[in-house]
Amino acid sequence: MDVAGGVSAVDAAGAGAGAGAGAGDGEWFVMGVDLGSTTAKAVIVDSGGRMVASRVVQMGAVSREGVRVAIEACLEDARLTPADISRTISTGYGRRLVPSADKTFTEITCHARGAAALSPGVRLVIDIGGQDSKAIAVDDDGLVDRFALNDRCASGTGRFFDVLCRALEVDLDEVAALALAGGTDLEVSSMCATFAETEVISLLAQGAETADISASVHRAVAGRTLGLIAQVGKASPVVMTGGVAKNPALVAFLEEALGLPLEVLDDPQIAGALGAALIARDEHAAALADAAAALADAAAAPLRFVAVADVGPEKQVIPGNAVTAPHCADCDGHLDSHSHRPVSVILQLGPVGR
Amino acid sequence: MTLELPPTRQSLDLSATKFITPEKPDKSNRLASTKAGGKMVAQYWENIFTAKERGKHVVWYNGTALNPIFQAAGLEWCHGEAFSARLAAMHLEGPAQAAGEEYGYIGELCSYARTHLGCAVMTQKGITEKQSGIVGMVDQDELAAKLPSPDFFVNAYAGCSTGQQWDAMTYRVFGKEFPLFNVSLPMIWGNKKDSGYLRGSEWEKTPLYVEEQLKKLIEFIEYQTKTPFDWDALSENMYYIKKASELRLEAMALCAAAPTPATYWDWVASIAPINFLPANQLLVDYFQGVKDEIEQRIRDNVSAVANERYRVYFDGIMNWNKLGFLTRKFAEYDVAVVAGRYTHDSFWQEPDLIDLDRPLLGMAQHYLICPINHGLKIMEELLLKRCDEYGIDGIAFHSTRTCRAMTNPQHILARTAERDRGIKSFFFEGDVADASFYKDESLESGLVAMLESIDQQRSKARV
Repeated sequence: MDVAGGVSAVDAAGAGAGAGAGAGDGEWFVMGVDLGSTTAKAVIVDSGGRMVASRVVQMGAVSREGVRVAIEACLEDARLTPADISRTISTGYGRRLVPSADKTFTEITCHARGAAALSPGVRLVIDIGGQDSKAIAVDDDGLVDRFALNDRCASGTGRFFDVLCRALEVDLDEVAALALAGGTDLEVSSMCATFAETEVISLLAQGAETADISASVHRAVAGRTLGLIAQVGKASPVVMTGGVAKNPALVAFLEEALGLPLEVLDDPQIAGALGAALIARDEHAAALADAAAALADAAAAPLRFVAVADVGPEKQVIPGNAVTAPHCADCDGHLDSHSHRPVSVILQLGPVGR
Repeated sequence: MTLELPPTRQSLDLSATKFITPEKPDKSNRLASTKAGGKMVAQYWENIFTAKERGKHVVWYNGTALNPIFQAAGLEWCHGEAFSARLAAMHLEGPAQAAGEEYGYIGELCSYARTHLGCAVMTQKGITEKQSGIVGMVDQDELAAKLPSPDFFVNAYAGCSTGQQWDAMTYRVFGKEFPLFNVSLPMIWGNKKDSGYLRGSEWEKTPLYVEEQLKKLIEFIEYQTKTPFDWDALSENMYYIKKASELRLEAMALCAAAPTPATYWDWVASIAPINFLPANQLLVDYFQGVKDEIEQRIRDNVSAVANERYRVYFDGIMNWNKLGFLTRKFAEYDVAVVAGRYTHDSFWQEPDLIDLDRPLLGMAQHYLICPINHGLKIMEELLLKRCDEYGIDGIAFHSTRTCRAMTNPQHILARTAERDRGIKSFFFEGDVADASFYKDESLESGLVAMLESIDQQRSKARV
């Protein structure tokens, strides 16, 4: 499906996509955006923590345009407008480039959160994206316990498989099938994408079978991922997220290397954006609860306190005679003097002069 | 249609990350007193550069702090790692490393050794701008090529196989034309039943073996200089080092306060004085000044990092190219890096061991407690001790690319800290004197993810 700007939306089938949520009374929505090195992902979650829309947009490189397309398409699917989104959290390599984000979180926190939501009870998340790989140990509450990132080399990532495809002159879809058909282990280096390409070309020149080469490269990547997993400790159940999880050959080799079954999510690429959206949902819910509690406190002692709450588009004021200028809870700036969307909360509680 | 997800988890205070703002004010507040150290160091190197003109014997050495012996013998001393670190801190290491690589010492070799060997190569050959064809090259080359050739070389490396061969490499670079002396510093394995930090039968015996070698070193120096060794001067030097070390440790201990009045980066800036500068009253005055400033900060409630929210331990040798950068980077995230293996466990950190009547034994003991010379059991003991002393929330492991000795046990140490104290950690790549191994995104991702984990941990603790 082609969308505006010539960017191809490779996956518009996220849960609820196109179904439309719409903003009803008392309901609110939040968004998670994951701007990775090759794709932009957006997810909208409602006030009950339900995912109502998701989008994955292929870009080719970290791209503001990709983010725009993913967000707009996601909003369209949910039949929402930007004004309906109470809070947005971004994650991924390009997280700082998401203009509408209220806050940023790392992919580690967000992938763990997203994977734990989609697969309750998960203890280990393997996230292999376009540019990096991560092993994340998840605790009983679905939160990050330990994590390990690959170093600066892109070995074993989506980029690594792109290099392999170029050297073998096959498409990404074909390379996994080739690997599953391969047998002989040619002991390809897993240390560096550049060296691996050289090795592949060398093996081709020696007359090695392309299936064996592909299998060997996949096996090497699985071995390298196993090294990352060792840093956080092997645990089960294991969930794989990120675009490379869509490569069935790598999943198979990784299962073999790990000695454990791997669960691959239906849409492994959205885990990070979903996690970001769920954190946004938690934060907004907590802010609303704080605001309600503070308002209740103020109401209980109306003659002594005043309170001003600014919750999304609605503003509530408990009248009094000592109201100071309202503050944004997140940046402590005056709401009327900066551009942050009013997020929540009670802004001032102060004694009333007699 | 909506996808039903499991119930949302408890609300968490995940506030490690910030609102996105283009401006990033410097939230670090470095000590002013350490600037005096910079002047002392500059003066020290200028002194080295003129050593030959003044008819002094010059010794090149690497590894541990033998300089009190050299000072007592009336020598001028050049510490290999220190000069490499200085070049890296000034971003002038490139020409020396290129010269070393051209000679055959490639990127996998310790960048301290590689840079210093490059300096050895450059010391022997003049490079003109005309020859290099690169404008400005001569200025960069000038400092790297400025070291006077050594009259002899002393190697005393603990816990590092590259360091232990550094002398032989230098020997070849200089055409096998100067004498060498190698002090053997055995590993303190710590695997006997009675072993531990500064205790056990292994600890009782091994320093005696090293003390005997130091006596032989002094005989070697006397032979080279044709001058009797001044033992009184050695005791005097060790008096100043002991005094300076005591002040340094007292000042460090004050940083257990929260918020901390000084950080790891201030201690990094104070390494040169305690490591290789001449032992004299100036050295004592320097650390008195540092301690005074820290005490004043505590009285005035001045913190080293604005809004300190996380206290972090730094494991790994300093990335000298990035001292100022990393100071600001960690502070940007409200992180006070308060202690580190390199700063707190490497330089005369046990002044009680110094006996002015038997100085060589205390020196031998210090050389053996170099933080890359311990077995794992002792390293774990030291790490946990520091974490407890300074109230550490997280550990930054500088995965020093060309320093295997420092890097090898790091993953086990990370696991120990997590298992025994619940302390989170992250790893980032870099190197001691080669900026090309550092990648900012790697540090940023790991650091922020660790802070998010700490936030989660704190939220859970509150519930």
